[in-house]
Amino acid sequence: MSPITDENNAAVRTAGVWKIFHQEAEEVRAVQDVSLTVERGEFTALAGPSGSGKTTLLNLIGGLTRPTRGQVWVAGREVSEMSNRELAQLRLEQVGFVFQAYNLLPVLTALENAEFPMLLQGVAAAERRARVQELFARTGMEGLEDRRPGKLSGGQQQRLAVVRAVASRPALVLADEPTANLDSHSSEALLDVMAELNWDLGVTFVFATHDARVMERSRRLVRMVDGHIDSDETRA
Amino acid sequence: MHARVLVVLAMRNLRRHLRRTLLTASAMIIGGGLLMFSLTFGDGSHEQWIDSGVRLGTGHVTVERPEFRVRRRIDDRLPAEVRRAVEEAFASPEIAPYVVATSSKLSINGLASSAAGARPAQIMAVDPVAESAFGMLDERVAEGRYLEPDDRLAAYVGAEMVESLELRLGSRLVVQAQDAEGEIAGQLLRVVGTFRSGVPEVDRALIHIPLTTAGEWLGSKQDVTNVGVLLDGSAATGRVADRLERVLADPVARGEARVMRWREADPALAAAVAIDDFGNYLIQAFLFTIIAFGIVNTVLMSVMHRHREFGVLQALGLTPGQTGAVVLIEGFTLTAVSGFLGVGLGLLGTWYFLGDGLDLTAMMENMDEMTFSGVAVDPVIVPLFTARRIVQVLVFILFVGAMASIYPALRASRIDVTEAMKFDR
Ligand SMILES: Nc1ncnc2c1ncn2[C@@H]1O[C@H](COP(=O)(O)OP(=O)(O)OP(=O)(O)O)[C@@H](O)[C@H]1O
Ligand SMILES: [Mg+2]
Repeated sequence: MSPITDENNAAVRTAGVWKIFHQEAEEVRAVQDVSLTVERGEFTALAGPSGSGKTTLLNLIGGLTRPTRGQVWVAGREVSEMSNRELAQLRLEQVGFVFQAYNLLPVLTALENAEFPMLLQGVAAAERRARVQELFARTGMEGLEDRRPGKLSGGQQQRLAVVRAVASRPALVLADEPTANLDSHSSEALLDVMAELNWDLGVTFVFATHDARVMERSRRLVRMVDGHIDSDETRA
Repeated sequence: MHARVLVVLAMRNLRRHLRRTLLTASAMIIGGGLLMFSLTFGDGSHEQWIDSGVRLGTGHVTVERPEFRVRRRIDDRLPAEVRRAVEEAFASPEIAPYVVATSSKLSINGLASSAAGARPAQIMAVDPVAESAFGMLDERVAEGRYLEPDDRLAAYVGAEMVESLELRLGSRLVVQAQDAEGEIAGQLLRVVGTFRSGVPEVDRALIHIPLTTAGEWLGSKQDVTNVGVLLDGSAATGRVADRLERVLADPVARGEARVMRWREADPALAAAVAIDDFGNYLIQAFLFTIIAFGIVNTVLMSVMHRHREFGVLQALGLTPGQTGAVVLIEGFTLTAVSGFLGVGLGLLGTWYFLGDGLDLTAMMENMDEMTFSGVAVDPVIVPLFTARRIVQVLVFILFVGAMASIYPALRASRIDVTEAMKFDR
């Protein structure tokens, strides 16, 4: 029997998790028998060729898709049996997402975007403002509070997405190719921001990436091939 | 907390796509305005039909014996205490404010004859003063004048009967009917006036005579067959009739009296109103179905263009239902607010510009006199504004808003988040 809760209280743990898509007659095994534990405070990159299952694995961890088989724990809670409502609550409380681009709500200002998850969580206004101000300062976003996303550069948008993901104090932040749409300078700036947040505040990051810079700077590199884990190295 | 955030998002989205919003809103505004315009005029013209009908007949509410309507005989007179109770009720504070005029008349079938022949006649014995206030026939004089209080042995005769009996002003005619004793009694009358109501059945058969003349002729004294009341609007009919039924509970139970509403007294008129309303509803339903499809289409388009946004919302922790709610709030607010605005503008515009009536005389030029189900139609239609109608319309607008938003909202709630968040363009 697998435990209902994960006693280690890791940020994420998966046990023998599979995701199989059915496309016409064909079976696509996007994720095959992946068992992976990410402890709190890690700065981990998932690498691998296109179609190797990185995005699917992040979606499974973030509760955006349900596994075909196996189990996933986020912050100690089993997610595969959760209802839609519980999954939404899990994402709200425990998971921050950063996607490749267009992460933001176009009708809200930068400040409102950053505060949005906290608003849903019911965090008090003063607390929201304080957290966002601190994060804006750390990420070089000061002065951009009232801009709409459409009026921010790609790098600024991604930093704002990171601020939003971190501000709600999730157990982990999942970032799917966060630098793929950025030039090298902006990529470096974004990585600096994330590394600093990880170092100073202990925010757990898991990236899916093709970007060599991201792989270089991550402390743990998990390589995926054809839906399963091919290698898993942690640097000293 | 969620609800407020969702409302803010929805409102911002409406403002962001201002042109689309205004375009959709204008359809609803025009629709709501037209709806109010057409319904108030429909109600106004129906009120005119009803008014003409009940004036020519027995009023919005009338009290008579149960057999009266089929037999129209002298035996069907109302007992004196019933008549008194009804007249007291009309003067009571519960009913009096609605009363425009009352009329007590003796109405029987008989025969009218002259040297030229004999014709069946509907003889209506009236108090000339009360009847001029109640009916409209006194205004439809063709020749001569209406009855006056001092008239004795006078008759006010329909124009077609005048022709067929070859009568003229001042001519004599004889009316015959059963009297209070059950004998056939005749009475010589003189034509003091003739009328043309525009309704052939009426002009062919109706004769007004003074109630005093009838009393002497038939031995019925001041007795009447009907006591009717003309109200300041058909809307008060139910209230007044209910009140009368309470007051007359005993005679009604004994089978001595019956309270009739205009719908029962004139089923053809009631049917005409219902059919006309139905036609109007059908047109409005059609119009709003088209408008609703337009709204569904615009809202749906915006949903299609915002897949990624809904994906982000769900990734941030909204449930599929809450994502749909954003769209529902958007569509519903858009339709309801603009629909209400249209209704308001329609009401104000109709009231301000056309509140005194819309003169359709030009349109009716080629018709001699328009009649509709036995009722002469006035070419000036005055719109009627009732709270009930306005509430009905507002509820209808809310319904249209909900209908137009539900499908797009469902679509938004069913998006595949992982699909929406894919980056391949
Ligand atoms: N909804 C789906 N239906 C069917 N097949 C899918 C679906 N989503 C992903 N796949 C398939 O699953 C496999 C893994 O896809 P995934 O997107 O996880 O790869 P990836 O490692 O993120 O690739 P990339 O580096 O290009 O983003 C691929 O073969 C893909 O075609
Ligand atoms: Mg991917």
